[in-house]
Amino acid sequence: MNYQKNIIKNGVTVHKIDTSKFKTNLFAIFITTPLNRATVTKNALVSAVLRRGTNTFPSQELISKELEEMYGASFDCGVDKNDDNQVLKFYIESINDDFLPEKYNLNEKSLKLLVDIVTNPLVENGGFKKEYVEQEKYTLKQIIDGKIDNKARYALDRCIEEMYKNEPYGLYKYGYSEDLENINEVDLYKHYLDLISTCKIDVFISGSNMSNLNENEILAEFNERIANYTTITNKYLINEIKDPKEVIEKMDVTQGKLMIGMDALKVSEEQRAAASVYSVILGGGANSKLFQNVREKASLAYTAGASYIKAKNNVIIRCGIEIKNYEKALSLIKDQLKQIENGEFSEDDINSAKQLILASYKNISETQDGEINYYYAQELADKFSSIEENMKEISAVTKEQIIDIANKIQLNTVYFLTGLE
Amino acid sequence: MKIIDCSKIQEKAYIEKLDNGLKVIIVPKKETNKKYIIWGTNFGSNDNRFIYPETNEEVIVPDGVAHFLEHKMFEQPDGSNSLDTLMALGLEANAYTTNDHTAYLFESSDDESFYKGLDEFMDYVQSPYYTDQNVEKEKGIIGQEIMMYDDDPGFQLYLDTLKGLYEKHPMRIDVAGSIETITGIHPDILYKCYNTFYNPANMVLVASGNFEPEMFLEEIKKRLKNTKKIENVTRIFEEEPEHIYQDYIEKTMSVSMPIFMIGIKDKVVAPEERVKRHMAIEVILGLLIGKSSSLFKELYEKQYIFGETDFEYEFSKNYAHVLISGQSNNPQIVQNMLKTEVQKLKNEGINHDDFARIKRKIYGDFVTEFNEVSSISRMFLADSIKDINSFDYVEKYDEITEDYTTKVLNEVFNDDKMVLSVVKGN
Repeated sequence: MNYQKNIIKNGVTVHKIDTSKFKTNLFAIFITTPLNRATVTKNALVSAVLRRGTNTFPSQELISKELEEMYGASFDCGVDKNDDNQVLKFYIESINDDFLPEKYNLNEKSLKLLVDIVTNPLVENGGFKKEYVEQEKYTLKQIIDGKIDNKARYALDRCIEEMYKNEPYGLYKYGYSEDLENINEVDLYKHYLDLISTCKIDVFISGSNMSNLNENEILAEFNERIANYTTITNKYLINEIKDPKEVIEKMDVTQGKLMIGMDALKVSEEQRAAASVYSVILGGGANSKLFQNVREKASLAYTAGASYIKAKNNVIIRCGIEIKNYEKALSLIKDQLKQIENGEFSEDDINSAKQLILASYKNISETQDGEINYYYAQELADKFSSIEENMKEISAVTKEQIIDIANKIQLNTVYFLTGLE
Repeated sequence: MKIIDCSKIQEKAYIEKLDNGLKVIIVPKKETNKKYIIWGTNFGSNDNRFIYPETNEEVIVPDGVAHFLEHKMFEQPDGSNSLDTLMALGLEANAYTTNDHTAYLFESSDDESFYKGLDEFMDYVQSPYYTDQNVEKEKGIIGQEIMMYDDDPGFQLYLDTLKGLYEKHPMRIDVAGSIETITGIHPDILYKCYNTFYNPANMVLVASGNFEPEMFLEEIKKRLKNTKKIENVTRIFEEEPEHIYQDYIEKTMSVSMPIFMIGIKDKVVAPEERVKRHMAIEVILGLLIGKSSSLFKELYEKQYIFGETDFEYEFSKNYAHVLISGQSNNPQIVQNMLKTEVQKLKNEGINHDDFARIKRKIYGDFVTEFNEVSSISRMFLADSIKDINSFDYVEKYDEITEDYTTKVLNEVFNDDKMVLSVVKGN
């Protein structure tokens, strides 16, 4: 296997992936912390402020110059949610020395710079640099207010928010505008110190020619830590029946976005492979019930699909439809759900759904970020299963198991983003 | 096959022009399990007026035909849909239409399903089947797609920029057309387009992944049908003036903050000049408004822009322009500051260190394109349609000198060629 992991310090795990498929090497640090209303905005802001400057490279301009010097190495950071965890992700991707016009030792420079950004932020007067915090508060506010710009994404986030009202998973991963006013550079820095010593840290190193990289030395920058955070995973999440609700929101849109959030009730860990196959038969590709019937036969939509959120046992249907067709589309979608419950799907449907899932498993190692995120998911799941094991489980799913899942699916929230009139 | 070796980045391209005129490019990648294939025709939304070779009559087609035709290629006489067939094999399959080409593609990490997919893939691209009924049905689906883009502020911003840059050129037109124009599409017009543009001499097939080039070429040849070779398709374009059409366009949509795009109209240069010009413009954009530039720093710190700015040089055989975009509460100030910065760069000349650093970045960006077989294949296809060879980005790298870059700066970055397009919130 091309994958190794080592716990190098309390709460710091290094994952090494040896792969020669790429021209680049990819380095990543993931910071995992619980999602909660009190810290969600601060954490998102921390990730934005960290990229502004370190004690070594005190401004974004200098970091950018260093990255350009490193043959255009790219730095990226982002915020994600995974189950009830908030994850801050930091990446540097740089060219493998083999493909450079000169020897440059980009591996070491890349990992050092990444660690520098995460662990060595520019500090002034006992806090982050005031200017950076104020500017990033402004930027983060725009990101939060900008939720409405991507209508399909907005509708999906809103549907999940409605499904998980007052629960961590319903929180918006970038936080809330109203929290920003009360954050200052000193408090935020204190929050950062607390975060960095208690969170779970995963370092990923993916690529080839890494033998001369002494990562343990570079990672010594991480101080001895309390690291008391054990990640939240709802191992056997059993969703409860809730009264289905309908939420209609109006905005200046030409096309309506229909989201249907559903709970897979009492689905155990072992049944998740069947739930994956179920969701692909329902809305996973061009052969799915939704694509075939809502788009191709009825011409009601351009986008029509479904996805399965494993960590939460939810299946979410997403469609872009003409506003006047709301009732029609909804009833057509409900027919599709009924059909699967009644076993009205063929062996071909099952096989093509399985093929699609298997192909996506095979493709994981074809992108560095895909591979990193796969191993990160295993890390959170607390039970390592290889890509091959996952594929075997998918292959073994039977029609009866899929019908069984279909009958456990329960409507939770119907969300419709519609026009102003 | 002809082999082009790009030793600096350890990649090779195998190229063959078949007797029927089809150009085949294979870029083998031994390290990956993936096989990716893309088949493109030099027919996009810009090709809306041409001479129909069968009759020599001039044909003018409604906006959105190339894209409509792309959707209809999957339909088969037996009622099946090739996209479904490919996906049922576990293959990632897709198609897209741009201003200058239409492309069909699929990929697989599994050999057996790849070759099954190849049968279907090469068959459907060579078998048009359009009926009144299946064309009518598609109007609903494409109508929904057009409406989706109507709500997409980024897309509207881009289209408005093009409308400002071009007066006569079909770059002004939405690739998908409009609800009105697609209403006028019928099978006869689709067949005329197919018969004109989907002939091998107007097409390029690119494959990248785990291939033995010579062997794979035989697999392709085996699956080609006998098609009449049409050497040259005559396209008719009205002459496009050098000047821009409108210097400011504004639209109101539901956005949280205004978004802006600055377009700069460029002239079309000879094919051998295109790669160099592209790289020089990338360097200039990096110097002017890249992340390490003093302009970016000032714009960001004064909160005139939010987030990052994007910039690129878009060009093909008959258009070329620079695009700079971002989010701003005051796009006019951004444009003014950019103009000042251009003037400053012209007056003071290019700084050696900055130049060398940005050039390195451009080298790295290009090499990174070779990470994935999908980006390699798409790049070789798009470049081939533009009459350029992708490896020239490495081979001509050393020819990008400060003198050459200064010359391009003076030629391209001029205030009177600049368009500002803005989408504001309501």
